[in-house]
Amino acid sequence: MASVTRWLRLPASPVEHSVEGRGFVFSGFVVAVLAIVLYGQDYVVPVLGVVAAAIGHVVSYRRRNSKRGFWRQAVLAALVFGALFYVIADSSLALFGGTLPQANFAILLVAITSFDLKTRRNCYSSLWISLAILYLAAVYAWDYAFAVLAGLWVLCLVGFWIASHHKRLNAELKGPARPVALMLGAALLGGLLSFVLIPQPSGVPVSPLVVSLPNFTAFKGGLESPALPLVQLTGDPSGATSSIDLHFRGRLGDAPVMYVRTGAPAYWRGLVFDEYRNGAWTATNHGYREMQPYVPPRFLPPAPPGNLGTFVQTFRVLRPLPGVINAAYPIQSLYAPVAALREDAYGTFHTPQPLRPGQTYSVVSFLPDLTPALLRAAEPMDQEHLDAYPDNYTIYGDPSSVSARASNLADEVTQSASTEYDKVMALTTYLQRNYRYTLDLPPVPAGKDPVDWFLFDVKTGYCEQFATAETLMLRSLGIPARLATGYATGDYDPILNQAVVREHDAHAWVEVWFPGHGWVPVDPTPGVSPLAATKFPSHWAGGGIARLIPHLSIGAPAAALGSLGVLAVVPPAIALALIAVLAYAWLRRRVWTARPRPQPGESELLRLYERLQRRLTRRRAPPETPREYQHAMGEHSSPFMGRWPEGPEGLLAEVTQAVNEGAYAGRWPDPRRVRDLAERIS
Amino acid sequence: MAQERSLQPQRAAELLERVEGNIHRVIVGKDRVVRLALAGLVSGGHVLLQDLPGTGKTMLARALATSVGGTFRRIQSTPDLLPSDITGSSVFNQKDLTFEFVPGPIFANIVLADEVNRATPRTQSALLEAMGEGQVTVEGTTRTLDRPFFVVATQNPAEFHGTYPLPESQLDRFVLAAEMGPPTDVEAMEVLARREHGDPIAELGAVIDVQEVIELQDACLRVVAAPAIRTYIVALMQAIRARPDVVLPASMRAGVYLQRAAQAWALFEGRDFVLPDDVKLLATPVLAHRLGMRGRGKPADMIGEVVSSVPIPPLRQH
Repeated sequence: MASVTRWLRLPASPVEHSVEGRGFVFSGFVVAVLAIVLYGQDYVVPVLGVVAAAIGHVVSYRRRNSKRGFWRQAVLAALVFGALFYVIADSSLALFGGTLPQANFAILLVAITSFDLKTRRNCYSSLWISLAILYLAAVYAWDYAFAVLAGLWVLCLVGFWIASHHKRLNAELKGPARPVALMLGAALLGGLLSFVLIPQPSGVPVSPLVVSLPNFTAFKGGLESPALPLVQLTGDPSGATSSIDLHFRGRLGDAPVMYVRTGAPAYWRGLVFDEYRNGAWTATNHGYREMQPYVPPRFLPPAPPGNLGTFVQTFRVLRPLPGVINAAYPIQSLYAPVAALREDAYGTFHTPQPLRPGQTYSVVSFLPDLTPALLRAAEPMDQEHLDAYPDNYTIYGDPSSVSARASNLADEVTQSASTEYDKVMALTTYLQRNYRYTLDLPPVPAGKDPVDWFLFDVKTGYCEQFATAETLMLRSLGIPARLATGYATGDYDPILNQAVVREHDAHAWVEVWFPGHGWVPVDPTPGVSPLAATKFPSHWAGGGIARLIPHLSIGAPAAALGSLGVLAVVPPAIALALIAVLAYAWLRRRVWTARPRPQPGESELLRLYERLQRRLTRRRAPPETPREYQHAMGEHSSPFMGRWPEGPEGLLAEVTQAVNEGAYAGRWPDPRRVRDLAERIS
Repeated sequence: MAQERSLQPQRAAELLERVEGNIHRVIVGKDRVVRLALAGLVSGGHVLLQDLPGTGKTMLARALATSVGGTFRRIQSTPDLLPSDITGSSVFNQKDLTFEFVPGPIFANIVLADEVNRATPRTQSALLEAMGEGQVTVEGTTRTLDRPFFVVATQNPAEFHGTYPLPESQLDRFVLAAEMGPPTDVEAMEVLARREHGDPIAELGAVIDVQEVIELQDACLRVVAAPAIRTYIVALMQAIRARPDVVLPASMRAGVYLQRAAQAWALFEGRDFVLPDDVKLLATPVLAHRLGMRGRGKPADMIGEVVSSVPIPPLRQH
């Protein structure tokens, strides 16, 4: 039993006397807390923690030479358990309403333990908990500024190491600068190359840890904030209405709305509207079904015909948004950390409360293969299909809200087209070619129908007008159509591998019913692909970089590579192999010299020697010879005397003798003898 | 066969201990200086003893010479000492009507050059040529000196009148320089006690012969200085060179001597390999007298600082 406890006990760590070192430990904590404040937007516990830790550092520095008392340690332990209770209460019951209970727990832990920073090991553990705090902040931080904080923390670690170890040994700070610089440079280059050349995984969620805590608020009554941020009566860009009035339009800024890590570029679909009356869209079907926060594939429609696969999107909300799950459609499954979800009659999911900044949710979507040939082959609308028709056909087919001349224009444009697909495309490309897109449009004059005014008077408009006009004209042709709203893909950031969706990415488009295919997105807005379905993903970060440089044509080959699918691994693999071969050849020319292998017993003995030094509270200083170290330790009255039967000096003398013989005469001892010596330590 | 005849380190340690014990019959205490002087002999170099008059330099040299057997000659340096007084000269033999070479005091196994800085530079250089090359050239004929050839020079730094300080290039020829240092009270009383009824050196005899000295010198050459030791010596020399207060850094010869002296030092413990401890211990005696310092800095202090700050090479060689 005694041997077990002895084995469990850690070797002693020296008392930390360096004020600078302790300063670095505290700074590392402050940096981590700063990250939590900046990214977690939590203020109370971090500030309290920093103040408490500052006091704790002063206290523990003053008391560093005195022994630890039982009651003191007991109080600290009780406080740690209190903090543990806090994290459990806050994360399971939202008792304190904290957004980051894990980080708050770690902050409290550092604050409490800072009252007991006696030894160097204590200081290190404080730094490591700071690193954990930084990690939690990193999950929230999706920008570059975080690198500065991480760098500051590393500086604190290095500073502590120098202040603590180097000052103690009185040694010169002389590291292997050249190899380290070379290694860093090579790693950076290698990382960059692999980042550019290796396909980005699309099927794996990117976030390593789900930090969005469940929000246990349930639905109260109907939808609370079912609006979309596109067009509102109030002009409030966050949206508070379930209708779109084409007479008005709110101003949309450049502020980021959300980040999306996605396997494929797609439109993030939100609310869908079916009834158009007096220049305003509304949703008529108020049916819904309740869902669990995790919606498995079995509750959702099966894969569409010709499905190419699935891809994951992780959304991170940046500013308060209506409680609508924007995602690529059709959805295969989804998870949102809320109490419950509601799926409305149009396949859109709603959350009980508005989405708050920092919330994340993940959606797996199908990748439908909507090629012109397939859609053209879709059978025309007949009675059999009408029976299978999921929703209220009367509304989708209602031509009453469109004016006669708009209806005539639709007939005129589509008269040469035979299939439904050709008609849709003819109308879409007609709108795209003959109408101009602008965001600076005066309000619709009083008494005018917004669609007529757009089609025949100004001939310029924004996405809702294009989409509305097309929807109504399709309906006049007998083709079921409705208005979908949401966001465009956003700007792709190749470094962080995420799309930044901004306010001005708010978008509206048309969904057309194709028998056998369901609702197919079509976008009549000029400058985009008419068939607005999700594109086959270009996995290539190179493609993303090329998108940033508009005049460089490598975007095209990169996209072509993307369309190769799995085969696209081949060209970068060849490139990587080439680089590896070149590097190998270069290395071989430079430093490929055979190194003698260590003799038997050498590694074993030196490891034993290191172990012995660790046991003896002080390690051998670099300018100290083994024999000087042995004598110094013999003169010291080591507190660990008596740990070995014959005292440490006898063993140290024997090991020192063996080390000297090995290192300076090349006579390393037999590994068996080293083992015998090692047994005498423990 | 050569392997069997060669001296084992253990045996060498015994011989050296015997010599040390013999010397200590005359010299009270001063273990370190005695061992340094003996190490100078074993390493095949020459030793410079410096201190105030009357501290036992000459006594040490005489005791060492007596203990080792072989021939012993003494040169008492004075300003009017001529090179030929050291090397010897040809004398006309009236009987044979020929010139006959009469060897000087340099033709001996152990030569005590007493108060060497009192001789003129010309005479000093004659002595130092013999020390450096183990041969003397007299009147065009080069004569090789016998093995072992060991010079113990003494000088007293305090006496400025009538001295010619040895130039650095000549100081460089001594493998090591040692200072006797003042005796402790106990030692001083012991010295007085021993001299009460006569001089103990008169009773001193040889404990090893010339052949054994040669064997010791050969054994010294067989002591292994590992690559790590060489790395360490070079690091020490570099560190000294990098010091801003050093005007004249240690020469390459100094490094060679340091290694050789460390090899000799290992023999005292019966080791056949050099430890960094040997190098550390010998750094001051081997290097201090060769270095030129700026200002009033003492080379010994500077070397002490360097030795305690330069890291020893890593123990792991692979």
